[in-house]
Amino acid sequence: MVSPHGVQLATHLISSFYGDLCSKVCECLLRRGTLTLAQIIRFTELSRENVINCLRVLIHQNCVQAFAIQQEGAFGEAPRVITQYMALFDNMIHKMRAPKFMQIVSEELGKDVGSSDVDVVRESFNRLLIARFIERCPAPEPFLAPPADGETPAKKRAAKSAKIGEERQTTEQRALAAAAPMESMRFLMEMDGLSEEKSEECTNSVTVGEKRKQDVLKSDEDVLNADKKKEVLWRVNFEELVRRLRHKACISYVKTRINDEAAIVLSAMLELSRHSETRQKAENSAYLSINAIYDEVIKKEGGLGMDFERIRVSLEQLGCQCLETGIDESYSIDIKGIIETSQTEEMESVVLRRYGREAYRIFRLLSKAGRFLETDKISDTTFVEKKDTTKILYKLWKDDYLHMEKVMTSGAKQSLFLLWRINKEPLREHVLDEMYHAALNLRLRIAHEQDKGKEVLQLPREKLVGELEKRYKLLGKVRVILESSLMNLDEAIMLFHDF
Amino acid sequence: MSRSLVSTSLKRKRPETGPPGLADAERAILESIKGKKDLGIWARDIKQETKLTDHVVNKSLKSLLAKKLIKEVVNIQNKGKKHYMAVEFEPSKEISGGEWYVDGNLDKELINILKQLCLRYLRVQKVATLEGVHNELKKNRVVTFEISSQQVGEILNSMVLDDDIIEVKSTGLGDYHSIPVGTICYRFASGAGAGKGPRLGAFASIPCGACPRISLCTPDGVISPSTCVYYTKWLNIDF
Repeated sequence: MVSPHGVQLATHLISSFYGDLCSKVCECLLRRGTLTLAQIIRFTELSRENVINCLRVLIHQNCVQAFAIQQEGAFGEAPRVITQYMALFDNMIHKMRAPKFMQIVSEELGKDVGSSDVDVVRESFNRLLIARFIERCPAPEPFLAPPADGETPAKKRAAKSAKIGEERQTTEQRALAAAAPMESMRFLMEMDGLSEEKSEECTNSVTVGEKRKQDVLKSDEDVLNADKKKEVLWRVNFEELVRRLRHKACISYVKTRINDEAAIVLSAMLELSRHSETRQKAENSAYLSINAIYDEVIKKEGGLGMDFERIRVSLEQLGCQCLETGIDESYSIDIKGIIETSQTEEMESVVLRRYGREAYRIFRLLSKAGRFLETDKISDTTFVEKKDTTKILYKLWKDDYLHMEKVMTSGAKQSLFLLWRINKEPLREHVLDEMYHAALNLRLRIAHEQDKGKEVLQLPREKLVGELEKRYKLLGKVRVILESSLMNLDEAIMLFHDF
Repeated sequence: MSRSLVSTSLKRKRPETGPPGLADAERAILESIKGKKDLGIWARDIKQETKLTDHVVNKSLKSLLAKKLIKEVVNIQNKGKKHYMAVEFEPSKEISGGEWYVDGNLDKELINILKQLCLRYLRVQKVATLEGVHNELKKNRVVTFEISSQQVGEILNSMVLDDDIIEVKSTGLGDYHSIPVGTICYRFASGAGAGKGPRLGAFASIPCGACPRISLCTPDGVISPSTCVYYTKWLNIDF
């Protein structure tokens, strides 16, 4: 389930990109889960036409996925096939990251947008496809066959109630899996089917899916015509872009935490294992031979002078798993470990800023211990006065950073012990929710600052003199600060949600 | 008024006029205090144990204190409760909180000095074992008491928690050549990053990350991003 502020942020993004009606539909889907058209109309109280238009836009923008399921008819009627719509939360948040994605593409492939020559565009398209930055669109409306006998009533219940259940989760996951093109087809280009229109779509992510929405909603709003003959459509492959960012984040973490050489070795290893990474969140890299790593390292900037010995030292510092078979020596890197440490650091940093140095020490103690510790023990280990320890622990507990349990000993003397621990998973969710909240706040503040300086910003350039010029520059600076903070914060959000 | 004064003074007088009775009470109390040895005993517990009245107990305690047979000690577990102990005992670790406590308060100065000494030593050595740091501290004789290896461990551990140093396992190579492989040692990282104290995260570097009121903040609420004073302050500071 998406966290409350995640929903708010997504709704805000959709509203600023595609208007309030779309955001209303989005919010409805995010809050209530997968719905049918009729349900959306009922819950949003919008007109049928409006809802259909919004769904068109949202499907077109990869924010909503439709799928069909078979529902048993009531009172002996024949089973019906109904179309359901599910919100794709991640893709909504990705809207905010467009500049980041564009940067990755231009860093790797160079900038050559703006050409209208068909051959040039086709060439760019090919390169995008080879780099896997684009992929075939998922099926507009996959049909989910009804599950085996025993499960049917459960599924029916799930479809009716807006409230969850395992079956519901699986319905959505099944829908996504069914919609995704086959792995072998995903990056396959049919030469004859390539038209100029498609090329346009790939260079400008906003138009992706233009045709798809028409296919989906033109003929019929509810029962969609899925097997209508259509052209191959392409869209941005967020999975690959997120993977690049994930690798980048790992490298930059290692660079600041260990050293440049370790970062070079890591980036070589990630480069080598990229194509074998099948899952979105690979935990470990494949085993790579030291020779392959060396060959890749010397290609890197700053890696030319490195020899086997220095590479081995870096591999050791990175905590790589070594596998020696005969003469071959290969290494695997724990990517998940790096991600988790940087998540922990991000949380610790918040604790330090918000609750101070002593709280930071306590938090780190509990985070390292990974189990329940008693108040006095915490106080002794961290050198914090007993009274202050209790105060700090209560504060952290009140803000959902800690988990507390009371233990009463009954004997000659009754005494109460308080035990504390960090529950990593719920805490991560909690911090992520706060970060969504902060991202929303930054966006709102940007809008607010723009609004406040409206009259200055709208003035023609030549009128900006003296006091006005000063204000204009000030507004520019404020915007830069806010926007760069938002980009940095977004990196942290990805660290917690996507990596 | 005057009558009541007289009567209380009379009441007070009565036990004093009969020294054997009071001595009994005192003796009983002293015994109960002594019985607790270096743990001390709370005044209320004395009352329960000896089954004497409040008045008698208080009086006797005062008198015992005056005779320097007992002393008042601070119990770290509960500073508000008055504890008594026979003079021949020193407060146990449970009561005093150990060497790190002075009169029931954490001796922060001592701890900080020790931390700095450890840090200085590690900066020179780059990497050292607990034993190495312990020997160095003993050699320096900075503390009046005999510092134990466990105490040095406590200091180093808290520095690890502060992210001033890092705990590593010796690899036997490079800086670790003199330390057996696998031994736990402490490292002052001269390179960037680790051991240079906490890094400021992206979330912590904006006002929301440090905001104690974030849970009360809503777009149109009393606390909202457009009216937030922390934001205003933040955006003005940077110019």
